[in-house]
Amino acid sequence: MITRNCVHVSGPAGARPMLFAHGFGCDQSMWRAVAPDFAVDHRVVTFDHVGSGGSDLAAYDPERYGSLRGYAADVVDICRDLDLTDVVFVGHSVSAMIGVLAAQAAPERFGALVMVGPSPRYVDDEGYTGGFTRADVAALLDSLDANPQQWSAVLAPVVAGPGNPGVATELAQSFCRTDPAVARQFARVTFLSDNRDDLPRVRVPTLVLQCTQDAIAPEVVGRYVHEHVPGSVFRQLAATGHCPHLSAPEETTAAIRAFLAGT
Amino acid sequence: MAHDEGPARPEGLARLLEEDPADLYENAPCGYLSMLPDAHVVKVNGTFCAWTGRRPEDVLGLRLPDLLSAGGRVFFETHLAPLLRLQGAVREVALDVVRADGSVLPCLLNAVEVRDAEGRPLLVRATVFEASSRRRYERALLAAQQAATDAEVRARTMHQVVSELAAARSAEQVADVVVRRARRALEAGGAALWLVDRVPGARPEGTVPVDLAASDGLSPELLAQLATAAPAGAELVRTGGVRAAPVGPELRQRWPGLAGAMAEAGQEALVVVPVSAADDRHLGALVLVLGVTDDSELISLAEPGTRGALSPADAELLATLGRQAGQALERVRLHEETVRQAARSAFLLDAARLLAAAGEVGETLERLAELAVAGPADICVIDLLTERGLTAPVVAHADPARRHLVEQLRDEHLPHRDGSHPSVRAMVERRTIWARGVDEAMLVRISTSPEHLAVSRALQLADLICVPLLVDNRPLGVISLGADARRGRFTEADVDTAEQLALQMSQGMDVAQRFELESRTSHALQGSLLPPEPPAVPGLALAVRYLPGSRGADVGGDFYDVVPLPGGDRVGLAVGDVVGHDVTAAATMGQLRSVHRALLVDCPDPGPLVERLHGSWPLLDLPRMATALFATLRPATGELRIASAGHLPPLLVHGGRAEYLPVAPGRVLGAPPVPPREWSGRLPEGATLVLFTDGLVESRTADLDAGLDRLRAVAADAAGEGPADPDALCDRLLAALTGSRRADDVALLVLTRLPGADALPQTAAAPHALPHALPHARPHALADALDGAAGDVTVSGDAMRWSPERTEERPPSSGFPGVDVAAGLGSFLGLDPAAVRRLVSGALTRLSGAVGDAVGELRQLARDVRPGGDEDR
Repeated sequence: MITRNCVHVSGPAGARPMLFAHGFGCDQSMWRAVAPDFAVDHRVVTFDHVGSGGSDLAAYDPERYGSLRGYAADVVDICRDLDLTDVVFVGHSVSAMIGVLAAQAAPERFGALVMVGPSPRYVDDEGYTGGFTRADVAALLDSLDANPQQWSAVLAPVVAGPGNPGVATELAQSFCRTDPAVARQFARVTFLSDNRDDLPRVRVPTLVLQCTQDAIAPEVVGRYVHEHVPGSVFRQLAATGHCPHLSAPEETTAAIRAFLAGT
Repeated sequence: MAHDEGPARPEGLARLLEEDPADLYENAPCGYLSMLPDAHVVKVNGTFCAWTGRRPEDVLGLRLPDLLSAGGRVFFETHLAPLLRLQGAVREVALDVVRADGSVLPCLLNAVEVRDAEGRPLLVRATVFEASSRRRYERALLAAQQAATDAEVRARTMHQVVSELAAARSAEQVADVVVRRARRALEAGGAALWLVDRVPGARPEGTVPVDLAASDGLSPELLAQLATAAPAGAELVRTGGVRAAPVGPELRQRWPGLAGAMAEAGQEALVVVPVSAADDRHLGALVLVLGVTDDSELISLAEPGTRGALSPADAELLATLGRQAGQALERVRLHEETVRQAARSAFLLDAARLLAAAGEVGETLERLAELAVAGPADICVIDLLTERGLTAPVVAHADPARRHLVEQLRDEHLPHRDGSHPSVRAMVERRTIWARGVDEAMLVRISTSPEHLAVSRALQLADLICVPLLVDNRPLGVISLGADARRGRFTEADVDTAEQLALQMSQGMDVAQRFELESRTSHALQGSLLPPEPPAVPGLALAVRYLPGSRGADVGGDFYDVVPLPGGDRVGLAVGDVVGHDVTAAATMGQLRSVHRALLVDCPDPGPLVERLHGSWPLLDLPRMATALFATLRPATGELRIASAGHLPPLLVHGGRAEYLPVAPGRVLGAPPVPPREWSGRLPEGATLVLFTDGLVESRTADLDAGLDRLRAVAADAAGEGPADPDALCDRLLAALTGSRRADDVALLVLTRLPGADALPQTAAAPHALPHALPHARPHALADALDGAAGDVTVSGDAMRWSPERTEERPPSSGFPGVDVAAGLGSFLGLDPAAVRRLVSGALTRLSGAVGDAVGELRQLARDVRPGGDEDR
């Protein structure tokens, strides 16, 4: 499990565990501006979904990962492997729904859910706005096809400004590598899933973090999640875009801490 | 200087190279964008604006994603922005910029993040290059790659299908492979394979009877609707190729239920693929439903209603798959049929072996039924027909868990079945009844009670074959073979097998019944003809044994007799052996013994007795020759006189020694006589005399002399010094000299003259003297004998045996030996021999069929006529 999902653990043993799950398109490095702050007083666990980042590509099974439940099963595996209980599951984007499914599968492990830019269904439906049409999703899959080098090739050390030595170091690694075929399948699973029926089954305190001007998960979707998860807390962030943990880590951290203080 | 060595510079170059950086920015050969970290554009150059047809003021204040196509927007948020933040730069990201007129400009974008000393992002600088032709080229490459990949996937699918089909060993496995692989290849919501029902039967016009062979991913409702449409649908695909039909007006009109179920299940199109053999024979149809897959929880990317059109490549893949499936199906069916045929042949051979081995009937039938359920059937019921109707059937079930059901059927329900039951109809109509596809209606029809129906249902009977056991078109019984739902229907070949089995059984049972009749009658008659236990004779200890041959059908002409003679001081002894082991031999023996007793009245001495027998032999009209030894013994004195008619000499055992008395053998009864020579002597006190027939000393493996030597040795060894106990000696001799498989009958008479016999009164009246001679003086001896025969023969129960081998040993004869027996017995009982002969010969000619009748009539005749009396009628 540790190898398969490239699991990293930090923070004091015995502290309340926080499990950070990255969304579609990147890997656990997305959490690097947020997770260290929590590692002061939490047992912080970060990992890569199979097919992303440093995970074991050989473990990728199209059947298992043909639905979000396969990814949720991995999350449960990690919890069991590390024997985590009362877990604060912090899921970005599609991982918010993976957290919902994991908590459904192993309710004894989870104590709270933090959803960063969640969406239970991206594609519009009758009486429901997800923000995407089927054509949009098809176009996204096309964009993925048009950028295979993003995942398959190691990025060359480009445009590293002389005044930014830190950036140069990071370029030596490469972020968010994904096998193109896996990325495409993950995109399908992410953008074609419908987990609206799973929302009312959430039984733990839940925080919905909503960005401003989020093109992936618009506010109307965040509100929908809030309205359908019983007792959930809705928190509008000033941060724009879809990745507040990257663009506004302080605000994101503060919002999560405020929520955790209340649970 | 370095620049002096360079090429000559055009005039004005220096001015151009030192042009205004602002102009360089504004009119660079690429688009420039400067953005805040949150992607809000704060500066844009003229080139970008020119390319996109947007004015700078329209661009400023927008976020970069707002300028991108939908796919680009998502890609920006999910990939580009995080990457930029994480690694500070991105390069050659393909994005589509939307122009002011809505058209799309394919671009490549490089970007770098400008950070402050603490690493906080301040600004993002991006350059944008037009990449229309490059992207076109890439798309073409991608499309070609995709096509190649698809082709490879299809090829791999076909390869997998072919190898899995090659590994399939049954039609079920073939169906499973086809359904599973086809569904996966098309990412279909569900798939099912219907095969044309190979058992011919009536069908509505324009339909083909089909059976569901396999299904995957279909809801029960949808499957049911498809099944309803399948018989007509199979006719439709018979002539066509792969067809796709969207859930539209046409489908709704033809099969409204199906269209409804499709819509309910979120399925949008139906694809029907013909499955055909190499010679284009139509074997069935593969049906796929396209739409949202049930188990992936994914929303279909295609717009609703767009899956009705099948790509030519997919259509060809399916067509190939259908042909491959058809050929694989033909192959496994041929294989299965070959295996089944071999199994049927093996079964029939085993059954023939079982029938050929002489075994007890009940056990043979039980084993036969077990053999049947281990082979061609799940359920086997065998009924035998007797004069009293059907016997309790023999039943068997292949599944031990269901055995109790057939036993319940046997014990509680089958006895009550009526003429509508296929097994009864088979016997009455004397033909095979094949209840093709047993259904609920039939179960109800043949059930005699709700409980019977419940048991029948629990058996899940799917098919039933009932074949009558016929001999000369006369039913002896019926064998019923059933297949349950797990096995499925029988085929014509199964019916052939059942009929061949029935034929074998009929022949075996016919032979057995004929043989059984003779055997039983003969045993019964012989039992009545043998004397009862010898009377107690003062001064003598006596023991007798009579053992018929160990093969149950053996009946013999051996006898013994012990008769206190008139005057009371002597006892007559006899041991004899009529040639043969059959009814004639037994009858002859009976007559011989009776004549012997009759003669004893005025001719007790052995020599004259033999002479009289020789003399009267032609008059007696006895059909067989016989050997016999006659003796008189005076217990008081030991005076012993013996005469032999071709018989083996008696053995004298005395004082630890044994020797044969030198009695002259004389002529066999029935051979031209010579005057007999009587042996006379004295049996000492404590001495033992052993009279026996050749069955004791003859065996198939050793000659007579060796047997006699052995008898003497055993007797001497057994006797010891003192007087022998005749009973113990009998047992000892039989144990030592006859094995469990005697070839012949044995009659054995052993007597010891007890010490002190000399003191007996010489003229004491014997308690049982003649004329008590007729042991059959019981009024209904014959009737009783025949009762036994009738019961045993016609019940054909436990004691009946098949013994074709024995039957073949019968001498060929135009008549039946039983006629003479009956005639002889009839005359013995005072009947008109001619009448009995007529009656019996008529009856016995129809021996196997009318044995019950014949015996019954004979029995009646015997009851009506008292021995020595007049006919009542």
